[in-house]
Amino acid sequence: MRKKLLALTLVLVVVLAGCVKTKTDVSKEAETDSKGNGPSEKVQIELLGTSSGEEDMNIVRDQLIKNGFDVKLNIQPDYGSFKAQRDAGNFDIALSSWTTVTGNPDYAVRSLFKSDGDNSNIQDDEVDQLIDKASTETPDEYKETYKDLEQRIVGEKAYIAPLYISYKAQGINKEVLNPDTVRLAKSRAIAWETIDFNDASKRTEPLITQQAIGSLTSLDPIKGNDGSINTLNTNMYVRLVNLTDDDQVVSDGSLSYNYAIADGNSDYYFLLRDDIHFAKVENGKAVDTGERVGAEDAVFSLNRAKDKDSVPDHRTYSLHESMDKVEIVTDLSALDNAKQSGADGSIREALEQGLETKIEELVEDKTKADNGSGKYQVVKVTTQEPFPQVLNYLAHQSAGIVSEKQVESINTYDVASFNPDKDIPYGDQRTVTEGATYNNHLYTSGPYILVTKNDYQAEFAKNPAYRAGSEFEPKIERVTVRFIEDPDSALSALRNGEIHLFNGVPETKYDLVENDEKLVLQKNDSNAVAYLLFNNNSDRAVAKSENLRKAVLYSINQEEFLNFYQGNKKKAYSTVSPLVDTGNELTADAAKVKELLTSYQAE
Amino acid sequence: MKENRINRQAVILSKEYHQANFTWILTLLISLLFLMNSFSFKTGEVKPYVFALFGAYLATALLQLFIAWRIKRDLLLSGDIRKGTRRLGYIQLVSLATGNVFTASFSLHLLNKRKTPEYTFAVYTVLTQLFVIAISALNMFKPYVTDTFPMAMLLLLLVLVFQVVVLAIVAKTIREDNYPSSVGILALLTALTAITGNLFALLLGGSLLLKSRSTDESRIAKWNTMWEKITRNTMAVFGMFFIILMLTISVVSRFTFDYEVAVENDYGNILQSPSLVYPFGTDNFGRDVFSRIIFGARISLLVGFAATLIPAVIGGFLGGIAGYYSNRTDNWIMRLLDVLYAIPGILLAIAIIAAFGANTVNLIIALSLGSIPTYARTMRANVLMVSNYDFVDSARALGASDFSIIFRQIVPNSLAPMIVKATLTIGGAVIATSSLSYLGLGVEPHIPEWGNILRVGSTYLESHSYLAIFPGLAIILLVLSFNFLGDGLRDALDPRLD
Repeated sequence: MRKKLLALTLVLVVVLAGCVKTKTDVSKEAETDSKGNGPSEKVQIELLGTSSGEEDMNIVRDQLIKNGFDVKLNIQPDYGSFKAQRDAGNFDIALSSWTTVTGNPDYAVRSLFKSDGDNSNIQDDEVDQLIDKASTETPDEYKETYKDLEQRIVGEKAYIAPLYISYKAQGINKEVLNPDTVRLAKSRAIAWETIDFNDASKRTEPLITQQAIGSLTSLDPIKGNDGSINTLNTNMYVRLVNLTDDDQVVSDGSLSYNYAIADGNSDYYFLLRDDIHFAKVENGKAVDTGERVGAEDAVFSLNRAKDKDSVPDHRTYSLHESMDKVEIVTDLSALDNAKQSGADGSIREALEQGLETKIEELVEDKTKADNGSGKYQVVKVTTQEPFPQVLNYLAHQSAGIVSEKQVESINTYDVASFNPDKDIPYGDQRTVTEGATYNNHLYTSGPYILVTKNDYQAEFAKNPAYRAGSEFEPKIERVTVRFIEDPDSALSALRNGEIHLFNGVPETKYDLVENDEKLVLQKNDSNAVAYLLFNNNSDRAVAKSENLRKAVLYSINQEEFLNFYQGNKKKAYSTVSPLVDTGNELTADAAKVKELLTSYQAE
Repeated sequence: MKENRINRQAVILSKEYHQANFTWILTLLISLLFLMNSFSFKTGEVKPYVFALFGAYLATALLQLFIAWRIKRDLLLSGDIRKGTRRLGYIQLVSLATGNVFTASFSLHLLNKRKTPEYTFAVYTVLTQLFVIAISALNMFKPYVTDTFPMAMLLLLLVLVFQVVVLAIVAKTIREDNYPSSVGILALLTALTAITGNLFALLLGGSLLLKSRSTDESRIAKWNTMWEKITRNTMAVFGMFFIILMLTISVVSRFTFDYEVAVENDYGNILQSPSLVYPFGTDNFGRDVFSRIIFGARISLLVGFAATLIPAVIGGFLGGIAGYYSNRTDNWIMRLLDVLYAIPGILLAIAIIAAFGANTVNLIIALSLGSIPTYARTMRANVLMVSNYDFVDSARALGASDFSIIFRQIVPNSLAPMIVKATLTIGGAVIATSSLSYLGLGVEPHIPEWGNILRVGSTYLESHSYLAIFPGLAIILLVLSFNFLGDGLRDALDPRLD
């Protein structure tokens, strides 16, 4: 009996073994000609990232391991500690990302790859030359230059390994808001003034939106360039020009009627409008100061934007360094004599396009301007080199126009001996935070003004003197910005009606928004590129060996990223990819990786 | 009338009747769970497989109810369970095919009238082995299995056959008072099969060996009473069964599961719903959640045991010293430990991990440090009590050294509360491990650990809830099992409950 049972089991197992495939069977079948002399010893790569980038890190780790690397993860809980680790050089590759908020390719490369860039760890003369060359060129010309630059940075030298381009997506509560009035621009921050409720009678109620960071760097536009204030300052200060949703420079919704580029690409003219006044906060309400936003303020704002020493903690001067002179034009004949770039007409013709009243006189004093009777103000910007992309920088939030009178009256401290504990600069968040330090001194030229904030939200009110009566007059009277850090929590807040608008729906959650009856998902391209930054400036092997860097580069398979994000990402080649279609593409190549690793080990 | 009262007494005392009731209620509850899951509330569709499971469990529950009723009737009529009723156990044994461990163990117990601890051990040895084989066999639906799979399965099946044979022998030959010395070899071989992690086999072998060799009646009686008490507590036994099953799986999975399925990303199979190939579905990287949970058991158990053993040994040692040498030493040790006690355990662990980095060793150290004081306190209290006993005075009078008195007389007699405390805190350690991983402070995110798996699942609660449910269930079951076992041990070891 027992023997029978045993025999039966044996037979069973033989049958069982016959009908399953073991791993070696399968891998033998899958074995292809890629078999080469693999590296004798595994190369260890240290990958640095934040816990929010954990998924990308896992994909990179998986791809590197499958290509014969050994990966050590260094996951930091937040951006601050990540930056500390990166600055200390404790990494071989760091998961990084870059968003070109100005929508021009120069910004996408200058600070990252130029030898003297503020975020650069690369010293390469050829790269420097290419960046400078491209900056003076028009879009048609620079395509080739950026293509060469990309090939130098990625293909030849492998200073970075590109991963993907993200989309931008925002969820809108369509039961409350009219989705057609909500813009989603590729580069610029969202404009609040166009947004309207379905029911126009509810315009006195607040529009409730969200942002992740609640600690505001500064409400002085030149003193910050990060996620905490980009949207807020964009809506609080008007600029000379604006970007459309697909990154064209226009005058719509800006301080100018028209702008023109003079022949030679170094002089830029802006014809200012007279229907915007500064707003201030009085007794918790936004009121009209009666002070017009004029050319003097524009000149003052741009001059302080390009001057490194105009304020302590100046965060944006590198964007504006290309400007040489900013001045008010009072001589009408100067406009007649100057020629347009790439066209036949004069600058005056370009500036007068579509005006109801033609230019009769140019005035220097903003109080004398009266567009209805032909008295206009014109601002001229001169760049050091021919640099057409300066317009993109002028559309950036840091080029927002502040009141000369107000800022000078607040910033009375000495910049060199500035003491943050004692001196309160213009735009300090303490002055708008509820409590003892509250003393709102903001003068804003844009459609909204920040009234008060606390740790949970910020309250904005409409500027009553912002193009009143025109289509650009802000529709909704009040805006509340909730500070919700976790994107999943923010998504929940959107779904349960706590907020009306959520900019930044995670890629893996699109279907939740799409399947929700009261929500609508808007999607647009963005300029956000994720890439791996090599530790190019250290004693580590990755800094010394081009072969090692390239081995990592060719291990990256962007297809797999696209799969993971369910197709909600696009392939990238460098930070320029979303702005210029250079045609470069990165293809994973396991055989090449083996070759490169072997030659690295022979070094 | 008197007769009837005795029979009523028999109903109350009958172990089988209580177990029968417990089993049918539990089975019915499980079947209701399946019923609820067999309907898709969104589409109104019925899932045929889940519904079939519901049917099978309902039928089992009804049969079980019938058996319970028969037992009650038999007991009321004759004070004993009749043979015909016991034979129903054979029919109920079929329910093993649906994976119902409750009815299976019940029917095996019903079949045998004489209950020795060895029979219970043998039953659970076989059940554990069966479940391990069944769980491992699920891998056959995968596109491929690991290289060692056929060989390992063959060995497992052979072991199972052997254990079934042992079960039969134990059922037929072992009596309360009859332990033929010839079972020695059998006992050794059985104990040897425990290398799969199946500790029931070790218990069975050890127990047989003890009884066939030992002539010390009181020792045997003590052993029997202890296991008698533990096995009377059904939940404790099932808790022990689940723990040993997890332990066995952790050992066996090394040969029957493919680790790469659990850690390598497979972008072609992202977020698949549960199926035969992927019994618990796949996660957002296309990794098989079932394999991940199986491999995760290893880390959870390792960290759980290590983070309990280390503080128990260190704390026990310190507590023993503090309790034996009174006043100055006592004060020094205990006040220093009080300082440690003042720091919340989980915060201490987070601080240690933030400082030294996240890996398994640091995790164990971090979790161990915080619980040293509680073990020291328990041990100290026991030592204070035990050191006043006469046998300690006798040892002292005989001139034994302090060291030998503490570690040969006092500590062994103070161990019982420590064991109970340890079992009860292993659950806590498992939860702490998972919590830290959930917060991203435990092991690296790609490593299969229950807290890690649960963290991935938590972001998909709405769209792919199975990603969170299965690791959550695993954690709950393991922690519950340790708690039930701890309760059972406390009841069995606490002299005050005698």
